[in-house]
Amino acid sequence: VNSDLQKIIQSKEAGRRRLRELPWLEKLEMLDKLRDRHLFLRQMRPKPDQAPH
Amino acid sequence: MKETLAIVEQLHATGVIGPYAVGGAVAAAFYLEPVATLDVDVFVLFEPAPLILTLTPIYEACAKLGYPAEGEAILVEGWPVQFLPASQPLVIEAVRAAVTREAADLTTRVMTAEHLMAIALQTGRPKDHARLTMFVESGIADPDRLRDILIRHSLLEAWTKFENRFLLP
Repeated sequence: VNSDLQKIIQSKEAGRRRLRELPWLEKLEMLDKLRDRHLFLRQMRPKPDQAPH
Repeated sequence: MKETLAIVEQLHATGVIGPYAVGGAVAAAFYLEPVATLDVDVFVLFEPAPLILTLTPIYEACAKLGYPAEGEAILVEGWPVQFLPASQPLVIEAVRAAVTREAADLTTRVMTAEHLMAIALQTGRPKDHARLTMFVESGIADPDRLRDILIRHSLLEAWTKFENRFLLP
């Protein structure tokens, strides 16, 4: 694996570790935000009849 | 989510539900990095086991509190909550072994990491395998306790298959 890719992998892994170590109350708040974002993105997705042909 | 879990605990404190434990993605978030989920799984022990198991008292108590049924769930403070009877041995054990998490304004009961892993292995959908992989990568589980659960619930073979498929190079 080249060194740039290695850096990206390490940085992603560090980000995941930070999230893992958050206090549980903060994680519960994150679940609210993640759910809202997921629903928003789902709403924004074009419906099948609006999809470009 | 905090308000939702507080209402679940209130249902327990007032005797509407017996011993319970949060499972699924919400419980996993207590140990891992949180991932998006759309509902809350609450596993409930019915003791003593009734002749006919019904969730009607839970639905009625929630309706009185202003929380309506929505499909197979109850919408509690904006989150669909599925109350699932713990009827299968592994899940019964997971509810009994659940840990209490307490903060100033919230108490809740959550399945242990090892039980969540064993249930994910037993359920075996792609998203369960993904969660199981996250648990393994995090190194959070106690290997001896996990192995003990896997042996008692005849899941060692399934674990070996999972290891071969997802963990070994």
